[in-house]
Amino acid sequence: MIAPTGRLDVVGAPALKEAISELVKHGLPRVVIDMEGVSFVDSTGLGSVISALKQIKGSQGELRLAAPNQQVRVVLELTTLDRVFPYYATVEEALTGF
Amino acid sequence: MRPTQEPFEFHATLSALDQGLDVLHHSVELLRRATGRPSGDRSLILFETALGEIGANVLTHGHPEGAQLPIEYQLHLDRGTVLASFVDPGPAVHDHLARPMPEPESENGRGLALARSLLDELGYQRDGEVNRWRLVKRL
Repeated sequence: MIAPTGRLDVVGAPALKEAISELVKHGLPRVVIDMEGVSFVDSTGLGSVISALKQIKGSQGELRLAAPNQQVRVVLELTTLDRVFPYYATVEEALTGF
Repeated sequence: MRPTQEPFEFHATLSALDQGLDVLHHSVELLRRATGRPSGDRSLILFETALGEIGANVLTHGHPEGAQLPIEYQLHLDRGTVLASFVDPGPAVHDHLARPMPEPESENGRGLALARSLLDELGYQRDGEVNRWRLVKRL
């Protein structure tokens, strides 16, 4: 599980990409991103999550998003990315059956 | 009843990306407090999201190394309509304003399309050596 904090934007996105790359490199292809500590996401932050999804799928893995706040949910819906990332209300829900 | 401290005015000069984004988000928080809106207010969330997109673009491209002028940012609320403006000394912005929303698997190219969809008006104008951006949202 990865739990980024603060703004997942043009400044914060590279750290998430790097963290996911490290996990994939170490062969952990099932990843939950706990979004509870993320206060704001922009299109660059979304790009980093899409990049994470591609890396993880490329390793036959699965990515789940947990506990996004209202701003993150709105952005996922407006960009129709909620169809790509079905999100879970809590980390516990995301981990169920994972 | 909401407090109505209108008109609301905020002004700042920006140059660094990280600090500049801090200022933009802080200005929306001040606006939220001035209007008495809750933290989950959807109109303000949409506006802040659009502001973050345009602001990141302006802060990334609008203040090239050696630029003499800073980026000017203003936020204004009057009669329920919020107006944000940027004036930056960066190069002219050409063709990406009309770019449509990319496919879901695309990792970039979403920012301006997203901002356009969230605002009532997104204006851009090249004015001599500066770019002028105008973001309008009825709250």
